[in-house]
Amino acid sequence: MLAGAFRARTVLAGLAVMVGLAACGPQPPDATSLLNQSSQHMLNIKGFHFQMQISGFTGTGEPVQSAQGDAHPPDLHARVNLKEGAILLEVEVVFAADKVYLKSFTGGWQQLTDAQVGEFFDARTLFDPQTGLFAAMRDTTSATRGNREKVAGHDTYPVAGQVSAARMHQLLTLIRDQGTYRATYWIESPGSNLWRARLTGNLFDASQAATITFDFSNHDHPVSVTPPPLG
Amino acid sequence: MITPFRSLRRRSANRSVLLALTGAGLFLASLDAYVVVTALLPMLKSVNIAVNRPEQATPIITGFLLGYLAVMPIAGGLSDRFGRLRLFAACLLLFAFGSFLTATAPSLSQLVTGRVLQGAGGGALVPAVLALAADLYPAGDRSPVLGAVSALQEVGSVLGPLWGGLITASSFGWTWIFWINIPFAALLLWGLWPEIRAGGEPRREASLDWLGALLATAGLALLTLALYAANPEHSPVGEGFFWQAPLALVCFGLFVWHEHRTPHPLINVRRFRDSSFTGSALTNAIAGAGLMVALVYIPVLANAVFSMNASGAALLLFRLMLGIPIGALLGGLLAQRLRSYRVVAALGLVLAAAGFFMLSGWNEDSLKPHLLGLPFTVADGELFLTGLGLGIEIAPVSAALLDAVGEAERGAGASFLIIMRLVGMLVGFSLVAGFGLWEFHRVTAHLLPPLPGLNPNFATQFAIYAGKVKGAIFDEYHLIFRSTAIALFVGALLAAATLRPLPRPRWR
Repeated sequence: MLAGAFRARTVLAGLAVMVGLAACGPQPPDATSLLNQSSQHMLNIKGFHFQMQISGFTGTGEPVQSAQGDAHPPDLHARVNLKEGAILLEVEVVFAADKVYLKSFTGGWQQLTDAQVGEFFDARTLFDPQTGLFAAMRDTTSATRGNREKVAGHDTYPVAGQVSAARMHQLLTLIRDQGTYRATYWIESPGSNLWRARLTGNLFDASQAATITFDFSNHDHPVSVTPPPLG
Repeated sequence: MITPFRSLRRRSANRSVLLALTGAGLFLASLDAYVVVTALLPMLKSVNIAVNRPEQATPIITGFLLGYLAVMPIAGGLSDRFGRLRLFAACLLLFAFGSFLTATAPSLSQLVTGRVLQGAGGGALVPAVLALAADLYPAGDRSPVLGAVSALQEVGSVLGPLWGGLITASSFGWTWIFWINIPFAALLLWGLWPEIRAGGEPRREASLDWLGALLATAGLALLTLALYAANPEHSPVGEGFFWQAPLALVCFGLFVWHEHRTPHPLINVRRFRDSSFTGSALTNAIAGAGLMVALVYIPVLANAVFSMNASGAALLLFRLMLGIPIGALLGGLLAQRLRSYRVVAALGLVLAAAGFFMLSGWNEDSLKPHLLGLPFTVADGELFLTGLGLGIEIAPVSAALLDAVGEAERGAGASFLIIMRLVGMLVGFSLVAGFGLWEFHRVTAHLLPPLPGLNPNFATQFAIYAGKVKGAIFDEYHLIFRSTAIALFVGALLAAATLRPLPRPRWR
C-alpha cells in the first residue's frame, strides 16, 4: 500500500512539474528584439505623456532640471523647469507646425526664432523620428535583458546597453559627443510600450556624471498640439 | 475637552524633570510650526517646483496648520483617556515620523503629508503637556507653570523662522531642520521611558466628541480647499469653490447643531450669544491672519526683491517676531493697569494695522534709511512696531475669552483660543495668497520678457523687464499688506465694541 501511495505521489509530482513548466509560457524576447520592437512601436503611436528629469552634474550650460508634457512628435506641449541659481523657474513651450512658442514667467506666448531655440535648449531633436530617443534605441550596443520589473504598475523588462556619445549628441546638442554612455530602457512585454528610459554618464562634463530619465505614459492617446495665440 | 485635573502624587524632583522633558518636546514641535517660511525656496527646488508657481507651495504651509487643527479638538480628551505621557510619546513619534517624511520627500505630495503629520503630532502635544502640567501641580501653584509651558510654545514658534533660515543658509541645507528632530525626539522618549512604562497615570473615562471633531475638521479642510487657488492665473479661489464652500458651511452648520445636542460638546456653542466671547474669538482669528501674512510675505519680499538669502530673510522677519513676546508681556501688564481689555486689545490691533500700513509702502530702497541716526533703520522700527502690536492684543483678547467661558470650561476655552487663531491663519492666508497671485498674474498678463539670441539690446531690455516684475511683486505685496491693515483695523473696532472690562478683583 505504501508503495502504491509512493507511485501515485511520483506521478503527481511529475505532472506538477510539467504543468509548472507549461505555465511559464514562452521565453521573453531577447534584448535586441525588445529594443527594435519597442523603437518601432513608439515611433508609430499617436501620442504619449512624458516626464524628463535631469540630475547629477549639469554645469551652467544645461538650463533644464525637468520637463513634462504631451507629445506627438514633432509636435509637443510641455512645462519646463529651468534652473536659475538656487531656484527653479517654470516656462511653457509648444512645438507646433515647425515653429516653437514660449510662454515665460510673465506675459503670454511669443514665437522663438531658430537662433533663440539653438542658444537655449533645443529639444526638437529629442523625439525626432530619425535622430531622437526612440530611433536611438536601435543603436544600442551590447544590450542585455534584466529580470522583470514593475514600472508605473506595468510589467517591463529592463534592457541595458551602451550608446555612443556622438549618437546622443544628435539627440540633444548639449550632451558631450566623446566616449560612450549607458542607456537603460524599461520595455513592456508583450506590448512594446516604453515606460522609462535612462541615460547615464559624463553627459555634460568630462569628469562628472549626470543622468537623464524619461518616464512615459498615456501611450497611443491621441495628442494634437496647435500653435497658441500670441501676445 | 480636558476633564478637571487631579494632581498626581509625584516627588517634586520627578515633577520638574517630567515637565522639563515634555516641555522640551513641545518646544521642538513649536519650532517647526512656521519654520518653513524661510526655507521655502530650497524646499521647492528639492521637490521640483518653480518659484513662479508659488501656489503649489501653499500646501507646505497650510498642511502643518491643518494637521494641527485636526487633532486639537480631540487631543485633550485623548490625553484624559490614555494618559498624558502615553499620548505625548505617541504624538512625539508621529511628529518625528512626519519630520522624516518631510526631510526625505522627493515629491510635493510626500512633503505635504510629512507636514500634516508633523502638525498633527505637534498640535496634540500642546493640550497633553498643558494637562500634564496641571496634573502635576495643585490648583494654587498651577498658573506660573501653565504660563511657562505656553510661553515655551510661543517662544518656539517665534524662533522657528530664524532657526529654519539659519540652518537653510548653512552647509547642512534645509533637510536638517527636520532630520534634527528625530534624534531629539528619541532622546526625550528615552528619558521619559521609565515613567511611561511605569504607567502610574490614572486613566479617566473621558467622553470624546468624535463626530463634532470630524465635522469641524471636514468643514475646515473643505474651506481650505475651496480657498486654495491652484490656478491663480484664472481664478483667485479654488476651482471647486462653488461646491466646496457651501459644503464647508453645511459641515459647520451640522457641527453647531450637533454641539447643541451632545452632552459633552467640544465647545459650548451657546457662548457665541455672548458678544465678548464671539468678539474675542473673531479678533483672535483676525490677528492670526495678520501674523500669517507677515510670516509668509516678509521672507517672500526679502528673497524676491531684496535678493536676500534664507538667513537674511529670517533676520528681517526676526525684527517683527521680536516685538511679539515683548508686546505680549506689555499687553498683559497694560490690561491689568488700565483694567480694560478693549482699550489694550484695540490699541494693539491699531498699532499692528498702522505697522502693516507702513510696511505696505515699502519699495526697493526701504531697507536703507536709518532712524534718526541710530544704528537701525526705519524698516526695523516698522517691523518691530507691527510685531509689538500683534503681541499687545494677545493677553487682553485671550483673557476676555477665558473670562467669558468661566472656570469650568477654561481648558476647552484655551483650546478654542488656539483653534480660532489657527483658523484665522489658515483661512486668512489661503484667501490672501490666492488673491495676491491672481492680482500678480493680472498685472503681468501682457508683460513679455525679452528673449536672448541675436538681440543686441538684451541686457538693457532684461534689466527693464526685471524692474517691471519687481514692481508687480511690490504691487501684489502692497495690496496684501493694505488689505491686512484694514482687516486688523476692523479687528480693533470689533475688540473695542465687544470686549467686556476686567472683572472686579475679589478681595479676601
